[in-house]
Amino acid sequence: MGKALVIVGAGAAGGSVAAEAKRSDPGLSVTMIEQGPHVATAA
Amino acid sequence: MPYYIGDVIKDEAKLTARTPAKFRESGIEVIINTKVEQVDPVGQVVRLDSGASLPYDLLALGTGTVPRMPGIPGEDMEGVFILKRLSDALRIKAYLKETACRKAIIIGAGFIAMEVCEAFVTRGIATEIIHRGKLPVNRWDPELGLMIFDELKKHDVAFTADAKPQSIERGSTYRLRLNTNHGPTEGDTILIAVGVKPDTTLAEAMGLAIGKSGAIAVNFSQQTSVENIYAAGDCCESFHRISKRWGNIPLGDIANKQGRVAGSNIGGKPKIFPGVVGAQSFRIFSLEAAATGLTESEARVYGFHPVGLITWGNASANAMPDAKKIGLKLIADAATARLIGAQAVGEAGVVSRINTLSAAMWSGLGIEEIGYIDLAYAPPFGGSWDIIHNAAQALLRKL
Repeated sequence: MGKALVIVGAGAAGGSVAAEAKRSDPGLSVTMIEQGPHVATAA
Repeated sequence: MPYYIGDVIKDEAKLTARTPAKFRESGIEVIINTKVEQVDPVGQVVRLDSGASLPYDLLALGTGTVPRMPGIPGEDMEGVFILKRLSDALRIKAYLKETACRKAIIIGAGFIAMEVCEAFVTRGIATEIIHRGKLPVNRWDPELGLMIFDELKKHDVAFTADAKPQSIERGSTYRLRLNTNHGPTEGDTILIAVGVKPDTTLAEAMGLAIGKSGAIAVNFSQQTSVENIYAAGDCCESFHRISKRWGNIPLGDIANKQGRVAGSNIGGKPKIFPGVVGAQSFRIFSLEAAATGLTESEARVYGFHPVGLITWGNASANAMPDAKKIGLKLIADAATARLIGAQAVGEAGVVSRINTLSAAMWSGLGIEEIGYIDLAYAPPFGGSWDIIHNAAQALLRKL
């Protein structure tokens, strides 16, 4: 069982962490938590 | 988002880089509309407001910023907005459509205020800017700020300087009234754009080290003071390659890069974030504005010996019709003759030149070498001696 990564926030930073962590270690379990309704938005 | 409000970007879907569905396709779980209430860094558990608990081996904080508010009565009235999240942009655009907004007031004169101002004016809404300073965008020195000020005037944007907002209440001619130290002014909508500060609530509750800038302290691998907790983006600090200090610069490109560095390290592939030089830009009507490095006052505080000079020029060859006015200010350190700052405003070619100078500063180039650096040119874009060369050579003579 791979390690668990939890990310607080799914904005530009959170989304980038998630994508690159998963790409670098596909065995990682990645969960992103976002307080609002939208993720990975441009400002 | 301002371009979405101005209806230049028509489809809000274009503002989402990746949907939750796409994330899930890549094996990334996404939980929306849920707040993290608390993190236990010892037990390594995240507690959500839904009641659920998530254990973790690695944690990454991308909590962004919260908007600064003037703290005045009425700032929570209907028709008063901040622009932080996509939901704000959707609400603003819908409000403008539904209420046939005739006039808008913007409190603030930074680059977000500028972009939203352009969006309102593009939609045919009379716009007034309320600013605590004398000129807009105080990151740019007064000679350049004046060009921005004139451009606002050219587009009938009212600019009230040295103003302090005091309260908001219902208006008579328009929906809302903003009371200031200069008296009242009315508008159908009010946008508050006076800045942001890093959201460090969770980090502080967890006992993570907070930097002098007020943002979460991180190292070059984006690790916080706790080894298995990372932070990236607006909520944390960045290392400034020129000042050699840690500060907070909330910009999306930095968030992307730091996120990728953190993700790479978390995934076991070593990476460092190489820092920033403070590059930033915006457009206001027909002008581009960009800046990089330090201002003279910042440089002095850090103990440099700044010498600055503004050079005016043409972003097309002089022989071409329709000259494109550009003002470029370079700042060098007298002790080392190195470039430590640059800022420009003009009708064309500003962002590209400030980016060239950002790369030059990144590499520690001196003013003498910049005066002779190899640049591409053609008559529509500039003369064979570029304003960068002219500005650098003029500054070298002044040093």
